[in-house]
Amino acid sequence: MSDYILQMKNISKTFPGVKALDNVELEVKKGEVHALIGENGAGKSTLIKILAGIHKPDPGAKFYFEGEEAKINKPIDATLKGVSIIYQDLSLFPNLSVAENIYIGQDSNKKPWKKINWKNIKKTAERALEELEVDIDPNTTVERLSIAQQQLVEIARALAFEAKLIVMDEPTSALSSSEVEKLYKVVDKLSSRGISIIFISHKLKELFRVSDRFTVLRDGKYVGSYQTEEIDEAKLINLMVGRDVSYEKNEKEVETGEIIFQVSNFSKQGNFKDISFSLKKGEVLGITGLVGSGRTELAQAIFGVNKPDSGELKIYGNYVQIRSSADAVKKGVAYIPEARQTQGLVLEQSIINNISLPILNRMRNKLKLIDRKSEVQLAEQYIKSLDVRPALPDLPASKLSGGNQQKVVIGKWLSAQPKILIIDEPTNGIDIGAKTEIHKLLRRLANDGIGVIMISSELPEILAVSDRVLVMRHGRISGELGIKEATQEKIMSYALNSGKKDDSSDVLHESNQVSQGV
Amino acid sequence: MKELLKQKEISILAIILLIGAVLSFVSPVFLTVGNFLDIIEGNVVLGILAIGMTLIIITSDIDVSVAAVTTAVAVSIGYLFTYLPDSWISVLLLFLIAPVIGLVMGLVNGLLVSIIEIPAIVVTLGTLNIIAGIVLYITNGNYINSTSFPTSFMEFANYELLGIPILIYLLAIVAIGTWYILKHTLIGRSVLAIGGNTQSSVRVGIDYKKVKLFVFAYMGVLAGIAAIAQTAYTKAVDPNGMLGLELTVIAAVVLGGANIHGGRGSVHGTLLGVLLLAIMQNGMILARIDTYWQNVVTGAIIVIAVSYDHISYKRSQDKLAKIEVEA
Repeated sequence: MSDYILQMKNISKTFPGVKALDNVELEVKKGEVHALIGENGAGKSTLIKILAGIHKPDPGAKFYFEGEEAKINKPIDATLKGVSIIYQDLSLFPNLSVAENIYIGQDSNKKPWKKINWKNIKKTAERALEELEVDIDPNTTVERLSIAQQQLVEIARALAFEAKLIVMDEPTSALSSSEVEKLYKVVDKLSSRGISIIFISHKLKELFRVSDRFTVLRDGKYVGSYQTEEIDEAKLINLMVGRDVSYEKNEKEVETGEIIFQVSNFSKQGNFKDISFSLKKGEVLGITGLVGSGRTELAQAIFGVNKPDSGELKIYGNYVQIRSSADAVKKGVAYIPEARQTQGLVLEQSIINNISLPILNRMRNKLKLIDRKSEVQLAEQYIKSLDVRPALPDLPASKLSGGNQQKVVIGKWLSAQPKILIIDEPTNGIDIGAKTEIHKLLRRLANDGIGVIMISSELPEILAVSDRVLVMRHGRISGELGIKEATQEKIMSYALNSGKKDDSSDVLHESNQVSQGV
Repeated sequence: MKELLKQKEISILAIILLIGAVLSFVSPVFLTVGNFLDIIEGNVVLGILAIGMTLIIITSDIDVSVAAVTTAVAVSIGYLFTYLPDSWISVLLLFLIAPVIGLVMGLVNGLLVSIIEIPAIVVTLGTLNIIAGIVLYITNGNYINSTSFPTSFMEFANYELLGIPILIYLLAIVAIGTWYILKHTLIGRSVLAIGGNTQSSVRVGIDYKKVKLFVFAYMGVLAGIAAIAQTAYTKAVDPNGMLGLELTVIAAVVLGGANIHGGRGSVHGTLLGVLLLAIMQNGMILARIDTYWQNVVTGAIIVIAVSYDHISYKRSQDKLAKIEVEA
């Protein structure tokens, strides 16, 4: 018998245009709590989806369960091997009862006309809930439970399946600190019973609290597996961000002018709190932080789609109130969202139609009809200045590569002549060459006098483009760094903890206090 | 008890009782057993179709071809009468053939929706037009009346058991059968599961394509049965007789508490929805209100019911905070 409940080897995964995983391995011992660590986009979720049978790995991947080789082609294969996965967004049925949610899937091999044994469902659920020592009525519908309770229902489901390996994908992201403590206890209990757990998280203190061993992924590559007690926080951050490939860091001191944009005391319940910052002419301000730190919510608040509860905005020294996204455009703020394809472009329409979209009302002739000639002219101008390839104005946006699509989106918003451009994850899913082009473009826009705010999870990108970096954590600005002093390690420690960096025990201590204070 | 009161079905029942109370003052005929049996028998077709539609709406799809499919089966029955010998075996045979014809059409819808993954509204709008077109081509829009019906079928149509018309039993069988499927079989629970959360169902190993195929196929079978009921009730086959009925069917299901976004709906709720529409119709006739108003009132009730649903859904979504902000 093998010591390992699970061994995954040679795991690669190529999505169109992106290599999400490159020869990754993962080994989990029986009864251990194994943390899977990495930045946003490091490949943790992809790896788990491969384990779950949702994604198919590239050829050559090998899976071993308790030392024996196995094939995972679809979700049921993983389930039969004793793998239960608790996704961050949970896999529950809000309209069904707790008991059904716990039992569901157990019969999926059986004939569709098979009569359901309600007694058995209830008994299985009660037993699983008892084992977890939680007090949830199996007859209530899941939509009436809190997130923490829903999570317990998922864990109960895993127990009902007699799972040998439970994967928890960022299980604490939606829990309050007292609920988190309870979850830790459940994890401890499960592992003491011999169930292995893969715990995915990017909260460092959490990993030190629960895990026995951990595996680090970075940019889709395997960095290594370590005993938790062998390592301290500073070393861990280094493992997470220490990259071989990187862009050149932006070292040039730019001349910045007057303050053109100022946000003061922006707060919104459940989104962000006390956000104040300013932006100078000619400057690129980088905003980073982990996914879920409130970056995107803040950007949307500035743009008027996610109205803040309180706070003020100043553009060129004048107070402005932004009531809607249309209002924002009118007042000179442009926002390019992360989901370029769904929110930024009308994919089936031509480059021309996409670029002229925000300013159609300025494109009208005397008869108040849209003047095609000026539309074409406008598009050609941006295709040239942004170097969109192929330079065919009539081409539908869907036919362009990711990088060129992004240029069209940028062109579209430049046509509205914004004073401030907010761009969210500008190079998400774009290949390396095109990324550098987009970076240069953003710098050029700043030099031309547009205030650029760039939100990004990619630290090398933040360092390559920004003049100043704001780091967000839990809805607050946890640090501000000039580009000269900024390093990936410093940014990461602000993103993970509330500030101090050198002494790891100090940081741990501090963040503990913070969480107790909540 | 509190749980019970929270259920939508209870509020529909309350509305029905309220309207019933008003109507019994307006017309002395309303509160009679005879009137009630008339109301129910007159809405058997609507009821059977609405029960099938309930399953489709639970999976968050829709089928606008039901009336056309039912008409097509009814026309087929009309033609079959000339070939089948006049005996009770033929009537039994009809209960085999008609559902199979409906099943074939349901399967076409189901395959297009589940395998090719075309939105159901588009698929069924297409099949609605195709089927309706073929029916008109074959019949020339001509109506077949009862003079060409076999006497065995007429006897079946007029049969009463314990003073209750046979068609009401037919509705009851369909209702109980569907309730059983929904509550007690694996496929029925899968219908509710994929309506609740399709992604979760994939993760727990439910084949949602099969489930979608099933609901459309089942709708076809029930359309076949509804066609027999329609032929028996009207004692004629009218190629234009069910024009626009699909909207009333969908209305009944939505009024019965099924959620257009999927995941929620029940046979008893739908039956209450049918009853509510039926009583309103009956009441307006008894109260001699212009029948055109009926459409207006029905439409208004649907819009209000769906808006109410959607607003409360949005409110519950807003309550979920996205980020735990540090104090």
